Amino acid sequence: MRALGTASGLMFEGVAKRYGEITALQPTDLAVHQGEFFALLGPSGSGKTTLLGIVAGFIAPSAGRVLVNGADITHLSPERRNVGMVFQNYSLFPFMTVAANVAFPLEMRREPKARIAERVRAMLDMVRLGHLADRLPGELSGGQQQRVALARAAVYNPTVLLMDEPLGALDKNLRQDMQEEIRQFHRTIGATIIYVTHDQEEAAFMADRVAILNHGRIVQFGTQAELYSRPRNAFVARFLGEANLLHIETCDGDDAAERWLARTREGIALSLPGGARAACAAPRIACIRPADISVSTPDADCPGAHRGTVTETVPMADTVRHRIRLNERCQIVARMTTKHQRVRFEPGDAVQVRWEPGDVLFLPE
Amino acid sequence: MTAGSVPADALSGRLGRAAVGAYSSVVLAFLLLPIAVVAPMSLSSQPFLEFPPPGWTLRWYYDLGEQPRWLIATVNSLCIAAPTMLLSVALGTLAALAVGRIGRRWARPLTLLMLAPMMLPHVIIAIGLYPTLVDLHLQDSYAAVVIGHTVIGVPLVFLTVSASFAAVPPSLELAARTLGADVWQAFRRVTFPMIRVGMASGALLAFATSFDELMLALFLTGPGTETLPRLIWDQLSFALTPTLAAVATLILALSVVLLGTATAIGAAGGRRTLRAR
Repeated sequence: MRALGTASGLMFEGVAKRYGEITALQPTDLAVHQGEFFALLGPSGSGKTTLLGIVAGFIAPSAGRVLVNGADITHLSPERRNVGMVFQNYSLFPFMTVAANVAFPLEMRREPKARIAERVRAMLDMVRLGHLADRLPGELSGGQQQRVALARAAVYNPTVLLMDEPLGALDKNLRQDMQEEIRQFHRTIGATIIYVTHDQEEAAFMADRVAILNHGRIVQFGTQAELYSRPRNAFVARFLGEANLLHIETCDGDDAAERWLARTREGIALSLPGGARAACAAPRIACIRPADISVSTPDADCPGAHRGTVTETVPMADTVRHRIRLNERCQIVARMTTKHQRVRFEPGDAVQVRWEPGDVLFLPE
Repeated sequence: MTAGSVPADALSGRLGRAAVGAYSSVVLAFLLLPIAVVAPMSLSSQPFLEFPPPGWTLRWYYDLGEQPRWLIATVNSLCIAAPTMLLSVALGTLAALAVGRIGRRWARPLTLLMLAPMMLPHVIIAIGLYPTLVDLHLQDSYAAVVIGHTVIGVPLVFLTVSASFAAVPPSLELAARTLGADVWQAFRRVTFPMIRVGMASGALLAFATSFDELMLALFLTGPGTETLPRLIWDQLSFALTPTLAAVATLILALSVVLLGTATAIGAAGGRRTLRAR
């Protein structure tokens, strides 16, 4: 389906990039809404930076079109796209003061001097750096430099703001503060943001929608909740939150009784919910989220439970993560909120684990 | 380590430092004394080159002023060094920018090719250039020797600009582009301020090299374009008068000034980058 020329927001139509034999980006269609915070999530080399470079104008796509608010920008040079970009290494001009850095895009647009001064002051106040306007970037901390970069990329009201792992160089605490700050910033300026990251928690926390990329292809996109509860395949399930993946080999049972039992390569017998016959049609993967697994002391009379031994116990902020060995080929991870956890198990403890058949997701490879 | 061994170590450390200091002084003396000998010889009262001079006079410097040939040669040298410098800076900078962004695979071989004229004997360049420039009817023209000197000037600029360009991350130019700068503005406003120190020291090196160069000048200059080093060379075969030492001293003075300027520019640039980090 071809997109309408009047659509607002950012639109990719069959955009692809090849370098000789190597395909960096498979033909991709994607619509990002006006004002949306959209995250591109994937391992390195998955094509997310290529996609960003195509929007910025650094990379010419081998095929397809990029539309911003209906206008084709595929062949515009970077300076004529009115796109803002925040780089991982900040890329501030080291010999210009903070104020001069933020003024740079306005000077390129030949804005009057008085207006430049006013906009720069307003923008620096917004990122709470007004008092550092006359410093050089080298005299600021990493977080402050990234805030200058934000101010510089947004001061001219770009139609799209691109961020390439902007928090990658910061330590964890600062990163969380900056995540909050960038979200706030997005609400204030209301620009469309494309945010590249390989940190799924960061994407989950900040973005309205997330696209998961792998091998130069968007595997799936949607809200965080959609991707978590209905992953399209095992890659998405593994990439977005932790997942126990079991490989189904054979299925036994009958439709009349609506009772099916699958055997997995890991030697685990899974009872399948009614109507899950399809799960056995092709080699498939059963995915069980660690949070859906309950751990308890062994109990003789508990059908559907699996016996195992705790091999590792990791207390986290508000959960306890147990790694449990079910047999020599299979270890699973269970995560329980400490609130409901009456007993904490230690490595070596014999336990039983169980899950609701309805919580098992059946996914292709 | 025991406490008793400390003084012995300190002593051997002092001795070692003294030895290194003495050795360094000898090497520096070996390198610099031949140069230092020239200035006193130019003040010698004897009409031939002799060291140490038996008496002192300034007459060889007055002599220089009275022979227009020396003045003309100086003007020739300047008229050749200046355009050589400009051409070398333009070509060397462009080459450094291109090689700096071409990617790892090509950067090494291209760098070696760019630096080749610096490492090859000048006589080879001269023999290669001479017949070509004759074919082009450029013999005895400024253009001939300017071309020759630019060949050895470009690698110098390439080297100094490449060094400063290596400190400019490619994302700075990309950032400038997204912020609304076209290719030229991105260069002028962002790249140029960060490489101009390299360009300036490269320019001085190219100028000084052209001003001192003899081998290419022998092949490529004629009666009308004779440079200072070439005139010295010609005069040497007539007579070894202190006039030559006087000329050499003046060239030495100019070289020291150029070298000092280049060093000062480099130091200032270093401080600035340090502050900018």
